[in-house]
Amino acid sequence: MNYIKKDIKKGVSLHKINTNKFKTNLYAVFIATPLKREDVTKNALITSILRRGSKNFPSQDLISKKLEEMYGASFDCGIEKTGDNQIIKFYLETINEEFLPEQEELTKKSLDILFDIILNPLIENNGFKKEYFDSEKRNLKQIIESKIDNKRAYSFERCIEEMFKNEPYGLYKYGYVEDLEKITPQNLYEQYKKLISNAKIDIFVSGEQKDDSILNIIKENEKIIKLNEREAEYIENKENTNKTEVKETQVVEEHMQVAQGNLVLGLNINTEIENAKFVASLYNAILGGGANSKLFQNVREKQSLAYTAGSTYRRQKNVIFIRCGIEIKNYEKALNTIKDQLKDIENGEFSQEDINNSKELISESIRSINAEQDTEITYYYGQELSDNFTTIEEYIEKINSVTKEQIQEIAKTISINTIYFLRD
Amino acid sequence: MERIECKKIKEEAYIEKLENGMKVIIIPKHNLDKKYIIWGTHFGSIDNRFIMPKTNEEVFIPDGVAHFLEHKMFEQPDGTNSLDTLMALGLDANAYTTNNHTAYLFECTNNFYKGLDELMDYVQHPYFTDENVEKEKGIIGQEIKMYDDEPGWRLYMNALDCMYKDNPIKIDIAGSVESISKITPDVLYKCYNTFYNPSNMIMVVCGEFNPSEILNEIKSRLVQKEEQGEIKRIYPEKEKGINKNYKEDTMEVSFPIFAIGYKDDEGINRDIVKKHIAIEILLNMIIGKSSEAYKELYEAGELLSVPDLDYEFAEQYAHILISGQSKNPNKIKQKIEEIVEKYKQKGLEEEHFNRIKKKTYGDYVVEYNSVGNIARMFLSDSMKNINSFDYIENFNEVTKEYVEEILKNVFKKDNLVMSVINCKDK
Repeated sequence: MNYIKKDIKKGVSLHKINTNKFKTNLYAVFIATPLKREDVTKNALITSILRRGSKNFPSQDLISKKLEEMYGASFDCGIEKTGDNQIIKFYLETINEEFLPEQEELTKKSLDILFDIILNPLIENNGFKKEYFDSEKRNLKQIIESKIDNKRAYSFERCIEEMFKNEPYGLYKYGYVEDLEKITPQNLYEQYKKLISNAKIDIFVSGEQKDDSILNIIKENEKIIKLNEREAEYIENKENTNKTEVKETQVVEEHMQVAQGNLVLGLNINTEIENAKFVASLYNAILGGGANSKLFQNVREKQSLAYTAGSTYRRQKNVIFIRCGIEIKNYEKALNTIKDQLKDIENGEFSQEDINNSKELISESIRSINAEQDTEITYYYGQELSDNFTTIEEYIEKINSVTKEQIQEIAKTISINTIYFLRD
Repeated sequence: MERIECKKIKEEAYIEKLENGMKVIIIPKHNLDKKYIIWGTHFGSIDNRFIMPKTNEEVFIPDGVAHFLEHKMFEQPDGTNSLDTLMALGLDANAYTTNNHTAYLFECTNNFYKGLDELMDYVQHPYFTDENVEKEKGIIGQEIKMYDDEPGWRLYMNALDCMYKDNPIKIDIAGSVESISKITPDVLYKCYNTFYNPSNMIMVVCGEFNPSEILNEIKSRLVQKEEQGEIKRIYPEKEKGINKNYKEDTMEVSFPIFAIGYKDDEGINRDIVKKHIAIEILLNMIIGKSSEAYKELYEAGELLSVPDLDYEFAEQYAHILISGQSKNPNKIKQKIEEIVEKYKQKGLEEEHFNRIKKKTYGDYVVEYNSVGNIARMFLSDSMKNINSFDYIENFNEVTKEYVEEILKNVFKKDNLVMSVINCKDK
């Protein structure tokens, strides 16, 4: 394996991925904390304020200038939802020194900037810099409000929200406009200190590393030295699944000025069988994983009801979402066709060939993980957050061992939790 | 086979022009599991009027045919669909249509040669019937509607409408529900026979390959086709100047979005790669991440993020597009105009120029991180007779003086347009 994990201190780890497939080195820092309504907006705001400037690089254009000088190193940060955790992600990508027109040291420089942005914020009056705070608050408001712009993404987000009402997973990763009002530079800085001293911190390095010097560069960084040891607070993702209470399907309809209707269905999987998540992955691939799937074939190809028709399996939450863009008047017809597909799988109306194709589809995507640096990092981070580490080889093996009987068995436990429809 | 090399980034490519006129480009990569192949024809949405080489017949086709044809190529006489067949092999297969070309592709780690069999079979064997053409109209109709709901697409189309009066780039790639209703198997066969002749096609492969072996594999799967003469494409005469300087629309968006364009009357010239690099440097100096304009607009809350910066060009069109989201698109336009004027008068600052030049170099190197990017880049560049390595190789020739000259020639006040999508009143 080209992957090694080393603990820097309790709750703070380095993950090294040694690869010679790229022209770049990618550095990432992930901060994980449980999703909570009272923190979610604050954490989103913290992320965007941090990138505005740190003590040693006090403004965004100074950071940008520094990165441009390093052959256009790119810095990025973002917010994700992984299971019941909110993850704050920071990335820095630089050209591998081997491909520069002139020799230059970039690794230490990169990590110095990255750690300074995250761990050495610009503070005044015991709070974040007022100017950055005000403008980022305004920007975040705009980001939250622009949720409606992309109708497909919006519909998906809304279905999740309805399905997980009053649960952490139903929270919007960027937070809420009404919560923004109560935040001040001071109480936000308090939240920052709490976050940095309690959250789980993981540092990833991907690229060609000839020796172990990277570990020392990180260990000797003064911002890293200052970090406290911690019993990291985060929600571990469970590999085993539980039975959930089956409720009556809720139907949610929303109106907007749209030419196309967006239909999203949230499905529960109600099983405790072994390796359920691998079986569910295959079930999902057969249902709506690609061009051979039941949804694509029947909703799009045979009936021309939709341009997009497919499904997504959210592994951490063990739920499936079906998503279709349809002609509004075809709502009933599309819904019935979808329900027929669910029934068909339950009744075993799929072939060994369908199973093999789906296995190949999933295996191929797993084999392709090492073709992109951030994808490979995301895979290993997923394992880090899980209570069970699965290597890429084991993953493929488990997918290949799933049987038709298991898929049918899981199909029988599936119930529609939420039907969401965005229409005119 | 001709071998070209790019020492700075340790890459090489092999190029072969086959007897039937088809160009094959092979970019070998080592230690990679992933393989990528893309096969393109020089036929896009702008090619709507042409003379068939064999019959000398002039053909005028409805909008959206190239894209429609792309959809229909997958359909096989035995009722199967090649996209399904490829996916069943675990391959990630797709196709797309642009203004000037159509491409069929797949990527994989396993089963490459099985995929190659299928790809080269379906692209060389069209099967269009009245029935299967009718059915496709429903699916593409939905796709067109999906685009209609996308503010970004409308913004782009309106920007083109500002820059061009009568130019086929204004044609929506998918056509309209009305235009595609006129498509028949006969139209599709005419276009297929004209544009899918090997002499009008380019194939690019990237991954762990032995160049001569893969070339033989490709050759052995080619169907013998009669050599055809040059396809005469008929386009409206190129216009100087713009159509109108402003267009706005209203849609359901939370904040207005804008696209500011500079139409480039000169377009492709001998130095197009150098010119392209110069424009990228300029755009980053004017409104890129570290620019004074961006700093000011961001701090004033006028911009949320760096706008998308683009230079699109082909034989028939060339323009710059700066697009983003802002409450006040006019302020963005004013600021850009102000900076452009300032740079024209005072020249570019040495330190700033060198820094952005370094950044642009890095941006080009990053493109070589994935087999897919590399292959797509070589295909679309080859469609314009460009060798992609030139972007790295010619880099040092791009001097400050040259960039200042491009600034004067391309960023003309008279050729400046803006398209805006405003929010619907709530």
